[in-house]
Order: sequence, then C-alpha cells, then structure tokens
Amino acid sequence: MVSIENLHFAYRRRKPVFSGLNLALRPGHIYGLLGRNGMGKSTLLRSIGGFLFPHRGRIDVMGFTPGQRLPAFLQRVFLLPEDFYLPPMDLERWVGLYSAFYPAFDRELFRRAAAGFELPTDGRLDQLSYGQQKKTLICFALATKANVLLLDEPTNGLDIVSKGQFRKVMAGAVDEDRCIVISTHQIKDLENLIDRVTIIDEGKILFDQTIDAISERLLFRLSYDAEETAGALYSEDSFRGSALILPNITGEDSRPDLEMLYKAVMLRGERVNQLFSQKSHR
Amino acid sequence: MKQGSHTNAHFSFPRFRHLVALHWSGNKRLYLLALPAIGGLLAAWDTFLLVMDRYSPLDDGIQAFTYYWGMALIGCLYSSTIFAAFGSKAQGIAWLGLPASALEKLLCGILFSAILCFAGYTLVFYVVDIPMVKIGNELIAAQHRVWSNGYPIGPNPIWDLRKGLPGDNPDHSFHLFLIFYFMVQAVFALGSVYFNRYAFVKTVIAVLLFLLVFLVFEKQVVEWMVPRGWHRYNLANDWIADGDTLHARSVRLPPWITAPWAILLLLGIPTVFWVATYLRIKEKQV
Repeated sequence: MVSIENLHFAYRRRKPVFSGLNLALRPGHIYGLLGRNGMGKSTLLRSIGGFLFPHRGRIDVMGFTPGQRLPAFLQRVFLLPEDFYLPPMDLERWVGLYSAFYPAFDRELFRRAAAGFELPTDGRLDQLSYGQQKKTLICFALATKANVLLLDEPTNGLDIVSKGQFRKVMAGAVDEDRCIVISTHQIKDLENLIDRVTIIDEGKILFDQTIDAISERLLFRLSYDAEETAGALYSEDSFRGSALILPNITGEDSRPDLEMLYKAVMLRGERVNQLFSQKSHR
Repeated sequence: MKQGSHTNAHFSFPRFRHLVALHWSGNKRLYLLALPAIGGLLAAWDTFLLVMDRYSPLDDGIQAFTYYWGMALIGCLYSSTIFAAFGSKAQGIAWLGLPASALEKLLCGILFSAILCFAGYTLVFYVVDIPMVKIGNELIAAQHRVWSNGYPIGPNPIWDLRKGLPGDNPDHSFHLFLIFYFMVQAVFALGSVYFNRYAFVKTVIAVLLFLLVFLVFEKQVVEWMVPRGWHRYNLANDWIADGDTLHARSVRLPPWITAPWAILLLLGIPTVFWVATYLRIKEKQV
C-alpha cells in the first residue's frame, strides 16, 4: 500500500532527516510509529501525505506519487497533523463543505463517531477546545474512508474517556483496504491498538515488527531473580520487582510493554533485532 | 490503482464549484465587511474633495484617479493575501491536503482576487461615486461657482470606466488598464505564494527592485546599443536624436508592431505570473 525506497530528505543540507530510509506499509494494519523528538516521524507522515518531497528515493502510495498531490490521491490519503486548522464556521457547515471533496464520505459514520466522542454540534469550530477540535478531525478522517490514515500524535489533548473512544473507533476502522499510521509519544495510550511497531531514529528504521512477532520473540515479565535480571535484554525497577524483557525461549505468552520495548530498542537495538532475524522457536 | 487512469486530475467543474463555495464560506464575513469599509473610505475621500475643492470637485479626472489608485491598492493588498494559508504550517496542510488540483486552487484564487475583487470594488466605487458627484454638482449649482477667469463651472459627468482615462486617449483605453490590473494582481498573487510572511511588503520591495534593475538596464545597456546621441524619450517606444538641439528627430516604431506587442506584453505578463504561481503551488512544501 505504501512503499518507501531509499528515501533521502533534509530540511537543511548538512543535517539529513532521512538518508536511505526503506519502509513498506501494508493494508489491514495499525502502525505505531515511535521515535524521539526530531527524528523524522512527522516528516515521514508529511512525506507519505505529499506535503514534503523526497530529495532522493521514491515513495509510492497505492500507485500514486504523493508529491503530485492529485485529487484522487488526496481523497485516499488523510493526514491529521499535530498542529491543525479548522475554519471559523459551525460543524454542520464545515462537514457539508469539506465532505464534498471526498466521494466516499460517510455522513452516518461521521455522525456516529461524533456522537461517540460527544462532540458539540453548535458553536464555531475555531472556538472549540484543542481536544474537541482534534476529535472533530478524527471523526472526519474516519468518515472520508481514506485508505491511508496518517495520524500525528492523535491522542495529545484528548481526555481519558476520549482516548478510550479513540482506541475503539480506530480498532473498528481498520480493514483489509486501509492502513493506519499513528505517530506518537504516548505509547501507553495505544498499546492495545497498534498491531505493528515501527521505531524510527536518526532517519533509519530501527525496528519494525508486528505485535504477534514481538510476543513470540520477546518475553515481558516481572522478576526478583538477580541472575535473570542481569541476563535481560532490558530491565527497569518497579514496585513489584524488576520489569524485564527477555528472549522468549520457552514460547511463553506475555503482553508486550511497548514503552519498555522502545527503550530496549533504543539501548540495544542490534541485540533485539538479532532475535527477530533468528528462526522461530515455536 | 494507477494514477494514469484518473480522469479530471487537473480540472473538474464540480470540484472547482466546491472550492469556490468553501472559499466564500470561510471568508464571506471578511468580504461583506470589507465592501462597506471600502465604500466608507471612498466616501471619506470624496467628502474631503468636496470640502477642499472650491471650484469643481469630483471632476472626471479625479474620479478616474480615485478609481485606478483605489483599485490598484486594494487589488494588490488582497492578492497578496489570497494564498496566505502558506504562512502557517497548519493552514498550509489543510489547504494543500484538500482534494482539489493545484489548477483549481489557482483558478479559485484568481476568481476571487482578480475578477470578483474587481467587480466588487467597481460596484462599491459607483455606489459611492454617483451620489457624491451629484452632491458636488448641487454644490456647484447652488453656490454659482465660477472659474478664476469668470466662466461658470458646469456639472461634472459620472466618469465612465469603459472609456479609460478622460480625454479619449487611445493609449489608455479601458481594456489595457484591465489587463494592467491583472498583471499587477498576478505579481502580488505570486508574492503571496512565494513569501510566507509579510507577502505584501516583500512583493512591493521585489517589484521596486525589478523596476530599478529595468531602469538601469534601459539607461545603461539599451542606450549603449543605439547610435551616439540617441536617447530614450519615454518608456514606450519613442527614441530621439540630438534632443538638445533644434534638429531633434523622433523615431517611433509603427503601430502595427507596437500595438500587438503591447497587447502581447500585457497579456503575457499576467499569464507568466499565473503560471509561475501554479508551479509554485505545485512545488510548495509544508
């Protein structure tokens, strides 16, 4: 669905954001794009969305070259940026005007999503709170039926209930024709939502695995055993002993802690990736 | 799905219509407030002339002056904001991400900044001008005004913009002015895409710099290429030899060359700038 080959991009000549990035995004997945600040997560989303052009390399989104920004492409790819704009008009009018550009727009879906988020139907959009504006755009993004949804820090500014609602609507939105990419620092908010983790750092993909593969190869558990802790890929102290990431030699099931996984990849990326390049234990 | 299979990739009338509706809906409050504000400024200016001119206020010359300068100023100011969305990343993404082509977005900008701005300003100008000229004429009649040589001052006609500048000067016919307006508008529209902030001021500076370079080129390079003693007489097409003596000779290209050339230049420049604006929109990154 999205294919990125040898992507080179820089805002300033001497400081490249990407130098040879390769990535393939497949339909039917919700990707969690993780990484430190300034490592290119938003740049990657804007490149896929056609708002930034590669200096070298190629991006292909469903047969389109994003930089051409053809209407048919823009109808199929929706970017919800972290900083967004909503015009000074009421919700009904805004939906009426903007939905006209999206032939597959589903008004009923928008209405249901808006009701789920308890969006106010009166008042001007630009006068809503940041969180309410974001929820409005999330509902709109879903209703466009775009095949590729690019969401940059979508849970920032959402209250606890809305974060739950966000997870619910996103989980229901993914299908075999759609791919959702969520760039976030709020890993905990999305832990149960994303099914593939992509960690980006220094313009490279450090880690890119499905949650199933992570569960299969890594074991997340608490331990009081000092020897086990010493041999862990990653460990951190907690009230209930040491939280560990271990190679999953026994094929035991555990629930991946993505925050810990992220730290493990940042500290011992090579070792973690090595485990995924080995043959399956199961 | 391959992109080559898409029809209407560059222009679709329904999409253009949606774009126009969207622009109008987002800006109508501003536009509907701007029109009476412009009318108020024109009325204030006309009132000033009525008070200050003790002879023949609001003659057709001052009406034309008011129209042209007001039009140029408002057109430039407005055009320099027509693509102001690029000034902010959030608005830029919203605007560029809207599923319409760059051509449709450009045409929507031209429709509002060149055509509707011209129509709206002209309407407001006459809504103010007609009653103000009438008041001026009533003042002339009531006060039995006379020129300094004793001749009575007659009523002023409403200036007809279709006749261009007063005096039936064929070089200043209306259609040429209109194209000149498009030219200026196109330059400022490009400025609004090119400069993210302070587009109006930066475009003015860019235009002035261009004029400076043009004048230096005219004076230093072109004059260097013509025979000794010949000078450019004006910026149109007149050349003069021995201009300081009684034996001056003036040379001018025949109208069959200059007239099409003028039209071509006046039509070509806005086209070039609109094309440049289109390309700039296409290559814009946010």
